[in-house]
Amino acid sequence: MLLADFGTSYCKFLDLAGQDREPYMLPTKKLPKGLHVDLATGHNGKRFSEHYVNELTALARGGEELIRSRDYVLLDCGSRDIKYVTYKNGELADMGWNSECGASMGFTIELLERYYDLDYAHLAVPKTTFSVTCGVLGMSHIFDAVTSGISEAEAVARFVKGIAINAYRFCGSPETLYLSGGLCDNPLFVGSFPCKVVALGRYVLIKGLEATAGNHLSLAP
Amino acid sequence: MKKTQQSQNRSPDFLSSASIPHGAHVGIVGVPPLAVIEKLHEARAIIFDLDEPQVKADMELTAAHLPRVYCAILRTVVLNALHLKLDMIFIDVGPGKCDCAFHVSTVLLDILDIPIIRTRNEDSVSFGNPICQTQMNLLEKLKKITKGVQSSVAFEVNEYPPCKPTAGFWGVPPRDFSLLTLFPDTTHIYGWTRCMENKTPADTTLEEQFNADIPTIFFAQSFCAKTALAKFLATRHPKALYLDVDVTCSSSTRAKIQAFLELSGVPHVAR
Repeated sequence: MLLADFGTSYCKFLDLAGQDREPYMLPTKKLPKGLHVDLATGHNGKRFSEHYVNELTALARGGEELIRSRDYVLLDCGSRDIKYVTYKNGELADMGWNSECGASMGFTIELLERYYDLDYAHLAVPKTTFSVTCGVLGMSHIFDAVTSGISEAEAVARFVKGIAINAYRFCGSPETLYLSGGLCDNPLFVGSFPCKVVALGRYVLIKGLEATAGNHLSLAP
Repeated sequence: MKKTQQSQNRSPDFLSSASIPHGAHVGIVGVPPLAVIEKLHEARAIIFDLDEPQVKADMELTAAHLPRVYCAILRTVVLNALHLKLDMIFIDVGPGKCDCAFHVSTVLLDILDIPIIRTRNEDSVSFGNPICQTQMNLLEKLKKITKGVQSSVAFEVNEYPPCKPTAGFWGVPPRDFSLLTLFPDTTHIYGWTRCMENKTPADTTLEEQFNADIPTIFFAQSFCAKTALAKFLATRHPKALYLDVDVTCSSSTRAKIQAFLELSGVPHVAR
């Protein structure tokens, strides 16, 4: 049984019949033609499967599998949106999905690294930040800062910190934040949150699909 | 200024001093008092509920008269009023509707050359709410309740027996009814929609009721004053999701409803 999380920039897969059962990913623009999976999530997922789980549900199920605490906030930062679930006493207490004001944050972070030829692993978390509520609109802060003499690296770092703080506030400013998504691998982004961060990686939604396949859905043809 | 003064002369206390022409095309906004509905029926008026989309026209056309950041229901009222050939409009502006409707009535007085009659519905006779509690597709329930505004007769509880609820929908009838398709047929309705069926739209005590035993979505139109009440009540409910939607329901909003119901153990209709 093939499970897939179809993201904007990357797609994540898990073959439950595979030998190692290790998840893997492919760039979205390199997906093979005619691809069909047994269970899908992600904004593109309905095109590739008859069985679809919406992203918030997959995120929540993934959190239930991976997080031992009964009280937590789990935030997923994707290429084009941010979403979170809050659990209290082991039950869903709140959720949110920002696909408008959170638009393109992850995508923009990746774009900027390539454009300015930077390496986020070597950028320090800046003391100051930009007020960023949207990846696209926030870029003007970078251009203005560079024009005023601030280095490109510092300007981008402030932008990334602004995105992290915006996401932190969006999910309710928790003391500890469980983070999902490819940005878990970005030390500048993770270090920019003003709280303790537990990075769960980019396969949380896949874990949620795995739980759904096992417990909540019969996929018999 | 002259037109405004003339317009204001048309508005007050219309029912006691004027009549409704036979077969008149009449727009209504909000829940008119029962006395108005009865008068409309006596005159065999053709009623248009201006709160609901009645014309296929671009909402942007209202931007000349209302801010874009404004209640989508009232923007719809103006859009309908601009396109329908109406003989008069009854617009409720009392505690059973909202201050925004009062201000929209001022706009309508200015842009239309027909009587705009302001009403304050403070009817207090309870008509009950069997539709809110019966087993039926939620979209159909809302259609029945909103259509019921044009009737002076209560729904029969024998015809619509109550069901055991599995989910709750609290709020006003949304501008975009498509979000209602995501709920199970055993959803009970609360909030102002329940007040509508009860024909007591100003009954704030009834409006504030909810069932703490069932997962409930507290809905309000974006930019509506009721967002405050919806958010407040959601914090008081043990299993609640606060939701506000503007003109149309986005895919992420649909996903929120679906995920909330599913993760709360409520089977939902559409995936």
